[in-house]
Amino acid sequence: MAEPELLLDSSIRFWVVLPIVFITFVFGIIRHYLSLLMTSEKTVSLEQVRDSQALIRCRNLRENGQYIPKQAFEMRKHYLLNKEGIITKGKEKPSQAKNPMTDPSMMTDMLKGNVLNVLPMIVIGGWIQWTFSGFVTTKVPFPLTIRFKPMLQRGIELEALDASWVSSASWYFLNVFGLRSMYSLILGENNAADQTRLMQDQMSGAAMAMQQDAQKAFKGEWEALQITPHQNALKHIEDIVCMTHILPEDLYTTEKIPSVQAATS
Amino acid sequence: MGKEMERPLIQNVQYVNPISVRQNIATAEYCRTSVSALSGVTAGILGLTGLYGFAFYLICALSLFLGLVLKAGGRKSSSKQYFMARRQLLLNGQMGALFTYILFWTFLYGMVHVY
Repeated sequence: MAEPELLLDSSIRFWVVLPIVFITFVFGIIRHYLSLLMTSEKTVSLEQVRDSQALIRCRNLRENGQYIPKQAFEMRKHYLLNKEGIITKGKEKPSQAKNPMTDPSMMTDMLKGNVLNVLPMIVIGGWIQWTFSGFVTTKVPFPLTIRFKPMLQRGIELEALDASWVSSASWYFLNVFGLRSMYSLILGENNAADQTRLMQDQMSGAAMAMQQDAQKAFKGEWEALQITPHQNALKHIEDIVCMTHILPEDLYTTEKIPSVQAATS
Repeated sequence: MGKEMERPLIQNVQYVNPISVRQNIATAEYCRTSVSALSGVTAGILGLTGLYGFAFYLICALSLFLGLVLKAGGRKSSSKQYFMARRQLLLNGQMGALFTYILFWTFLYGMVHVY
């Protein structure tokens, strides 16, 4: 813990380091609320809802079909997969996969995303570089190799300066990356300041995700259901239940399944 | 019931609610961010430099992992029940947490030891 060999003016702390942290932080919050303000409500057409519900229904049958009798399973399968069934129809329907370039509403959405994410980054970064240029702001507490010098010491051209000293522009970028996960702490999970939100959106929101290519999804579902056999998970269930002598008050406890397991094993 | 009973499928099926699993992962993410920020502050105030700081982060991340596993019930099966895979608990979002740690470490180190 050797004392650093450079003595910095303490007004740099008050007028450069702290303002940059403050600006970065507040700016992330502003961006969050701005994007809340600007996002357009996505309207889902009736057909999209119908398609996605059909797919969800099909998937449910595939996953949970083992709990219904064989006849019921086959009935549902036939209903979904026969010539007039909803899945078959959806499979044969010509896909109207939207090209994002031709759909104006999608285009504006993309533009808004870009405007909100990229542009401010550049503007604020440039502004900070311009306003606070030439300050050695702080020192990262670990040694760095000489290769980091152009990255971390933007705006300071000093050959002899150790690479772990940081200029104001680089301090800003350090803030941008470091505060990203702080936003999710403060603003909640689905905040706009966090770019990973886009990935989460793709995972959830079945109806929204349906927009892309319904035909392909239907085809996959159709094939998957076609090859799904019926396995009866509840074979001998009467024997198991009779063996366990479940009392009525036990029936509604939260650990219903483990108690069955414990009794049978 | 003299006849041999084949193992019912019920025992092999795992009942996992994906929404709850995602919720759990998000909660673990909250913990990770908080821990990395706090450990960064601690390291900065202590004035750790170089490898000591990274070792400190490693210790903090590991102890958080251990704490989460203990909270989930200790045994492997029970933490699987909450998080699908244990490894995910350790490795998920580690990059962002490290950045947060470095930020707070640098910030506090600068405040306390440089100026």
